Amino acid sequence: MAVNDLPIVGDSFKLGFRLQRYWDTPMASAFFFGELGAGLFFVSLLLESAQGMLAGLLITGLLKTYFHLSHMGVPQRSWRAILRPDRSWISRGLMGIVCFIGFGGLHLLNFWGLIPGLGGLFKLLAGAAALVVMTYQGFAMSHSTAISLWNSGLIPVSSLAYSATAGVMLLLAAVPESARFLVPVALILHLCVAVVLLSLLHGARHGSPGARKSVELLTRTLYAKWFFALVCGAGVLLPVLLLWFAGSVPLAAMIAATGTLAGYYTFRLLIFKAGVFEPIMSFRP
Amino acid sequence: MARYGMVFDLKRCIGCNACVIGCKQENSLPDGVFFTRTLSEEYGVYPAVNRVYIPTLCNHCEDAPCEKVCPSGATYTRPDGIVMVDPEKCIGCGSCAVACPYDQRSEMKAESFKDGLFGTGELTDFEKQGYPRYTPGMVTKCDFCSGRVDAGLDPACVVTCPTDARIFGDLDDPNSKPSKLIRERGGKTPLPEKNTRPKVYYID
Repeated sequence: MAVNDLPIVGDSFKLGFRLQRYWDTPMASAFFFGELGAGLFFVSLLLESAQGMLAGLLITGLLKTYFHLSHMGVPQRSWRAILRPDRSWISRGLMGIVCFIGFGGLHLLNFWGLIPGLGGLFKLLAGAAALVVMTYQGFAMSHSTAISLWNSGLIPVSSLAYSATAGVMLLLAAVPESARFLVPVALILHLCVAVVLLSLLHGARHGSPGARKSVELLTRTLYAKWFFALVCGAGVLLPVLLLWFAGSVPLAAMIAATGTLAGYYTFRLLIFKAGVFEPIMSFRP
Repeated sequence: MARYGMVFDLKRCIGCNACVIGCKQENSLPDGVFFTRTLSEEYGVYPAVNRVYIPTLCNHCEDAPCEKVCPSGATYTRPDGIVMVDPEKCIGCGSCAVACPYDQRSEMKAESFKDGLFGTGELTDFEKQGYPRYTPGMVTKCDFCSGRVDAGLDPACVVTCPTDARIFGDLDDPNSKPSKLIRERGGKTPLPEKNTRPKVYYID
């Protein structure tokens, strides 16, 4: 029997591929809301939309935090996650989140005229921290050599692309007057997301047996219908079609944004669910 | 200082799972948690069919990916090479679990400690004395029975094995049994392409 023919064995005492089950829906939700909030804040920062910046800070600060804590086995000790920035992307990311909330809040207060001076510095630091939050989760995943699908430089790129796309789409849906500027940007970003998705699948398809098994799960077996319907259909194709009308029909922008977010969330969830550990085969007869 | 490791003799393993039970008893593991498993696989075509048993546990890697990603410093390596988890520091984030290529991390779910082995909500005396060593919600793993090793004993799975398929000892000592077996019979490590440098070897 070849390695590729081995089954997914779940938690049984058989040799085969094992599904990653440690990071699941709460972690996917935390990743989703973290990147969504940071992406919305970053785009709003560039366009100087105070409401967008506030919404971005609240999404990351409240929803990401809530889902992270609900994932943690020992949530009362979560502060300890900041202790090893020298080696852990989780620690670096937590520092990024603290800076993002802190400097983002200070920039917003400065923007509203509630605190004087240093506006440019706060803006710069808040933007840099937002970029860290937009990407660090991708680095945390790609750092793992255990799960071949994740062990790709394209994972942080996908985090950045999706985060920026979701931010642009949310702002477009909330502020229809910005359509003239945002629609071309959104189209380009959706194209980037599509290219990243295809490249990720292509790379994994020609990677290790575990990566090939993950691609099989995403495109042919267990998760194929969700992947094609929501990640590809609702998340990329539908928004690209509707964006052509977003300038004149605000409802089209809202439906497109909903599709983008649905596709993005499904991607986050499925990339976790399709992660597999390789079978121990080195000494197999 | 010793550098502890283990050798699995695949020719001797009969898949009886006594090691699994010995480990669960020694470590007071709750329902569904295993620090060691004996995997099996059938191969060949009838009538030339065979079955192989492959024992697995934490490989106590020299370059442990679980230690590198741990954000709280809970996972650390002792001077004798045993990779440990500090139950007072673990936050249960699962980073180590997704970083271990061998899927050898176990979540100690809080409900396991409440329901007990029989699911009645009442803990047996065995569970009452064993569970306090864990923090509910932490992610942990095999530590080569470090308490036994410190007392000069072999890990529970090694002493339980009726066929001596598990051999434990100092890999830095050229005269130790595991060192000799690795040298004489060509020990192989699991998933060497992951570059983790395991201290668990397989011979067949």
